[in-house]
Amino acid sequence: MINNKAYYFNHFQVDTPVLERLVQEALASGGSYCDLFFENTTYGSLLLRDGAVTSGGNHIDYGVGVRVLSGEKTGYAYSESTAWEDMLACARAASQIASAPVDVSPYGTRNPSRGEPNPAADRYPILQPWRGTPLSTFLPFLQKLEQTVRQKDTRVVKVFANLAFQVTDVLMYNSSRELKWDTRPMGSISLTAVFQQNGQSENKSTSRSFRQGAEMLTDALIEEMATDLVHGIDDRFAARRPKGGCMPVVMGAGASGILLHEAMGHAFEADFNRKGTSIFADKMGQQICPRGIQIIDDGTLTGNRGSLNFDDEGIPGQKTYMVEDGVLTSYLHDRISAAHYGVRPTGNGRRESFRYAPIPRMRATYMESGNAKAADLIAEVQKGIFVDQFSNGEVQIGEGDFTFYVKSGYLIENGRLTQPVKDINIIGNGPEALAQIRGVADDLAVDPGAWTCGKEQSVPVSCGIPTVLIDGLTVGGE
Amino acid sequence: MSINNIAASLTQAEIGLAQYCLAFAGQAGAQKVRITLTKSLMNLIGLLNGEVDKTAHALDRSMQLQLFVDGRYGSFSTNKLEKEELEAFIREAIDTVKMLQADAYRDLPAPERVAADARTGRELGLYDPAYDTLTAEQRREMALASCHWPSGAIAEEGEYSDTVFDTLTIDSQGLYARHTETSFEIGYETTVEDAQGNHFSSYWWDAAPLLQDLKWKDCAAIAYKRAMAQMGPQDIEGGKYTVVVDTECASKLLTPVLNALGGFSLQQKNSFLVDSLGKQLFPEQLTILDQPRTPGETGCRLFDSEGVATREMPIIEKGVVKTYFLNTYIASKMSMAPTVEDSTRVKVLPVGGCKKLEDLLAKVGNGILVTGFNGGNSNPVTGNFSYGIEGFLVRDGKKVHPVRELLITGNFLQLWNNLLATADDARPCLSKHIPSLAFTNVDISA
Repeated sequence: MINNKAYYFNHFQVDTPVLERLVQEALASGGSYCDLFFENTTYGSLLLRDGAVTSGGNHIDYGVGVRVLSGEKTGYAYSESTAWEDMLACARAASQIASAPVDVSPYGTRNPSRGEPNPAADRYPILQPWRGTPLSTFLPFLQKLEQTVRQKDTRVVKVFANLAFQVTDVLMYNSSRELKWDTRPMGSISLTAVFQQNGQSENKSTSRSFRQGAEMLTDALIEEMATDLVHGIDDRFAARRPKGGCMPVVMGAGASGILLHEAMGHAFEADFNRKGTSIFADKMGQQICPRGIQIIDDGTLTGNRGSLNFDDEGIPGQKTYMVEDGVLTSYLHDRISAAHYGVRPTGNGRRESFRYAPIPRMRATYMESGNAKAADLIAEVQKGIFVDQFSNGEVQIGEGDFTFYVKSGYLIENGRLTQPVKDINIIGNGPEALAQIRGVADDLAVDPGAWTCGKEQSVPVSCGIPTVLIDGLTVGGE
Repeated sequence: MSINNIAASLTQAEIGLAQYCLAFAGQAGAQKVRITLTKSLMNLIGLLNGEVDKTAHALDRSMQLQLFVDGRYGSFSTNKLEKEELEAFIREAIDTVKMLQADAYRDLPAPERVAADARTGRELGLYDPAYDTLTAEQRREMALASCHWPSGAIAEEGEYSDTVFDTLTIDSQGLYARHTETSFEIGYETTVEDAQGNHFSSYWWDAAPLLQDLKWKDCAAIAYKRAMAQMGPQDIEGGKYTVVVDTECASKLLTPVLNALGGFSLQQKNSFLVDSLGKQLFPEQLTILDQPRTPGETGCRLFDSEGVATREMPIIEKGVVKTYFLNTYIASKMSMAPTVEDSTRVKVLPVGGCKKLEDLLAKVGNGILVTGFNGGNSNPVTGNFSYGIEGFLVRDGKKVHPVRELLITGNFLQLWNNLLATADDARPCLSKHIPSLAFTNVDISA
């Protein structure tokens, strides 16, 4: 949502002359660039357990971050007050990085973008505001969600549901006199149930998260989440650990996008490449996976958890092709790395809050659909595994080794899904896994879950993928 | 005022504001109130390839309020600590709590359970007065002096930071509990390259409440040495192995056990240790203690987040589960006596007489030494786990070559019942005092 400029100036008690004066103070000792990041975030939460919504609350986080760059070196400080004296102290602390002007300037200092944000281009309009709506308005949603889950499966013994929302106002200004503002909503629902059957227990979770207002809390969403939660629980009880080892893996459409996030997305973040640590540091322009594959990091999907009107450096949100026809074509850049590589920033400069300096981060990362059919990819595998639900992943940037944890899936035997499996970790190497993609189906899905990336700071992201077949990954087992 | 001169610890004015808010919330309609006021001041110097790459200075203050209103409960926080704004915030918070459903189990802890010996915040000796005189130039000199940046490395990233953390918890029943500590930390990650262009990286770090105890001089060199040791990994066959888990990463295998003893997991039946109290589920040789009150030790605290006094107690004694972690609310729901909200300073007592990791490897003979985990997770209900690991193949008690892209899979109860021995090598900078651990009969996928 993009309000008018006065809304942000009033909220943070600043105006353009104050912003300019603060920037000049921050650069008084030298430095090549300074930016200011004002933030006002309102959080709300409601928690249902044991059949009642008995806990909830609101939280406020407010402050301003001041960053001074001296070439590629960063000085950063923040204040939880926007009183002039506090901001000034903050600017002087950040300025300690700089002792003299330097030649290297971050992107935008020579060709600034001074246009104002365009409300017509808003990627997350809010129809029903979270702020100002009493929390009690949302109680029936959680209560009905629990009832629907229990109606769908009598084996449910516990339901735990959490509704969390946040609305963040940001105002950004820099030494190139670029002024941007934005209001970012986020609504998230997580739902967990514990099931019991014949003395055995199992749990299952699902979540939804969107940059939307409270209009997202519909009966349709209740039905969708409850159905998703109880779906496959029979298989969860029947699931076994497979025999471990290296085998073909078919990754189902949607949440399997975690593969892209861990196997290559982090390695494409340009800070790792600028420092030479990434395994993809010298691969630009090279074929890194089979022809025909496009891999994208996208900040433009309406209402998506990873979307941004502007990144946290004031660069417009955009769609970035990292891989085109199998060739590595772009890293994910913030202003520092863009200047280092002599390219335009890609709108990936993100931060958890005003407490952090921005660094290159993913948004919504996905692969475009291919031509194959999912069933045909499964049919190709004599002995392997199909996976479709995950909880978390991790990568070692230098070595390229990545892992992701599979909550559920199936063995593939002679081209057919057979025994359900659960609770296994899968490990592979990024460049090797990309090179071993044998088929891509025509069923791209972007997962609607509440994915959060934890590289130094936590930021909301999303991921997606069509069904893909990878020749060999190592599967944990007995 | 320069930001470097801002009072690092809570001031009397800030404490007075919290006490005012406590009284104001009572007058505004809350029958019971708990307020936690926190303040932290951090200085950070980032290093890249032998030079200062980043500086950061951070002051945080926040007030958290737990409100008990008409049999209902809500939790609120803000970092806007102006009196008038706080009054409006509290009024709105109380109105919000009134909209929630009633919960008869919510209450403050009984006054006799809360800490009465945490008045100044410095009782545990975790505040270093040296912090007060440390200058920006001294920080910079120490950070730069810690660099190693050998010619064979691709990148050496380091970070020095020091923090003052001060927290005060008060409630409407008279609780006044304060904890103040300083923390000095240094960490390095170094990346190296072999002749084929393969990258290998590793890290090392240290931390201490007192600056004089921080081992900052060797940190970067150790990270480089560990990275070099990763070169030349070789494949191994999957199968059953004896596995030694280095103290540096051993908490990965204990934390899920402690989580399973947490009240919330137990009450929601989302734990593989439901109904485990008093039962011998672990091997008789295993004893795990909580020692939260040892002066000078990293991670020690005199009270938990409710203000309840911590105490020295066994968590698992000779294999028997001796305690759950139950706060006032969960204990009431489970009709059990409350304990503390969580473990504080866990200590696994050594098993088998080995002192150092090398002794433990010699005892094991053949197996795999795990020096790091790469992702993975566990099922809280079943206790099944699967983690990526890296480390070394061990033959005749010696490291033979690095191994990576391996997976360790099993069940926590079975794993801990296969505990062979431990070393006695837990580093003082770790808040969980867990030595290197050796387990037999562990499934490795390769």
